[in-house]
Amino acid sequence: MDVAVEGLRFERGGRTVLDIAGLAFGGGSTTAVFGPNGSGKTTLLRLIGGLERPSAGAIRIGGTRVTRDPASRRHVGFAFQEAVFVGGSVRRNLDLALRLRDLPPADREARVAEAARECGIEPVLDRSARQLSSGEAQRANLARALALRAPVTLLDEPLTGIDRVTRVQLLDDLPRMLATFAATTILVTHDREEAFRLADHLVVLVDGRVRAAGPKAEVYTRPPDRATAELLGYTVVGTGGRTIGVPAGAWALGNGEASFEMVVERVVDMGNHLHAVGMVGGVRVDLRLRPGEPVPSPGGRVLIAARAHVPVG
Amino acid sequence: MGDAIVLLLGGDAELYGIIGRTLAISGMATLLAMMVGVPLGYALARGRFPGRTLLLGAVNTGMGMPPVVVGLVVWLLLTRSGPLGDWGLIYTREAMVIAQFVIATPLVVGFTAASIQALPAQLPDLLTSLGAGRLRKLWILSREARLGLLAAVMAGFGAIVSEVGASMTVGGNLRGSTRVLTTAIVTETSRGNLPVALALGCLLLGLAFAVNLLLTLVQQRRNG
Repeated sequence: MDVAVEGLRFERGGRTVLDIAGLAFGGGSTTAVFGPNGSGKTTLLRLIGGLERPSAGAIRIGGTRVTRDPASRRHVGFAFQEAVFVGGSVRRNLDLALRLRDLPPADREARVAEAARECGIEPVLDRSARQLSSGEAQRANLARALALRAPVTLLDEPLTGIDRVTRVQLLDDLPRMLATFAATTILVTHDREEAFRLADHLVVLVDGRVRAAGPKAEVYTRPPDRATAELLGYTVVGTGGRTIGVPAGAWALGNGEASFEMVVERVVDMGNHLHAVGMVGGVRVDLRLRPGEPVPSPGGRVLIAARAHVPVG
Repeated sequence: MGDAIVLLLGGDAELYGIIGRTLAISGMATLLAMMVGVPLGYALARGRFPGRTLLLGAVNTGMGMPPVVVGLVVWLLLTRSGPLGDWGLIYTREAMVIAQFVIATPLVVGFTAASIQALPAQLPDLLTSLGAGRLRKLWILSREARLGLLAAVMAGFGAIVSEVGASMTVGGNLRGSTRVLTTAIVTETSRGNLPVALALGCLLLGLAFAVNLLLTLVQQRRNG
């Protein structure tokens, strides 16, 4: 089921939090709404989920205008950033979600079992939901939203607040979980890796406005401006009258098609390799040195080249 | 205590009347305070409107309101020459229910607001997103906050079943009509009838204990 917003504006305390002329999320796609903290990502999700009313504009789900409809009529599954539970077991929490959607008991039982199996929470199904580890709680939180098998699933920072090992596991498991349960998925994240790993489409949101939207490869290779390019992980520098974005790890010592003089500030020992950190025309550059390369001295100048780059703007 | 047991087992109709009246008046006042105080407490806990903090401050002040002052204000309102004198409620059980309701309501509002605020902040949004309507959401949240809500009932009931100032002022302690356990204790003490006063005191304590024990049993039951 596709989701579209038109002329959407949301104001809070006299400040415009969100102002989107138009945006469409294709049916069956997974879109990451990506941007820095405070860019309006969660607000967009809450507006689509019916937890906030827009100041202006329209929201359509499956072609039907739902702008003024309560959350209960939107057929949306929502996993909040913070895993919040009612008292009682994980099973009770999953069951409550399905009961609130008026599913008969036999269906509920089957759905709970399936969601628990696919989301890896079978062993904790009968434990108190409020006593789970952060990773288990996040899986239970996702399982509750996914068990609804809603036409539209909304995930707010699904991998935030969990330890690194669990995050890596969940990052691996989540695409499979979404493929099993979710039709159209919109997830918000401030983490670039999450956005690229989990989504096939990308929306870049900065200060409540859409800077770029489309298939992720398209957005990544054609950042429309410096802010978007930097958010996508590029180091943005000017050369020969044009602006280019150099992806992380694409800098190398030496000459090339796009070469720059870097003033070395310091050399950082990472244990198994060295990084030279310096400035190129007022922009900070981080250069990973390959084994055997000469180590530049702090204060010195070295020639560096961008082995790969994209045009910005 | 022995006198209390003798009194209780003696089949004294007047004593049973006093006990029944005490439970009926304080029970009704608590029920009314819950009906008004729980939604108000919920609104104060979750609502965002101008004057909310001021209102919470007023409620917290009201939680420590001296019953005799409440009794005086209600008396001034209900007395024959007062603004509500035409209602003819002064020195009736209804007047006592009104006074006790005024005493219990701030306690219920305060305890409810605190227990709702103690719930995870995103719980109402979660229930909304799952499709719960307004009433169903209030019901689930009340279940989640039931420890605090039952504490509100206990605090409200405990405060009014044991107060004497307001009941005496607006009820008049009329034998067979508005006399309750606390006012009966005052009467027996002023008459120098200390054993009976003590026995009534023990009965009042026992009654308060029995009601609170019942509520505590409900409160401490595990999630179903």
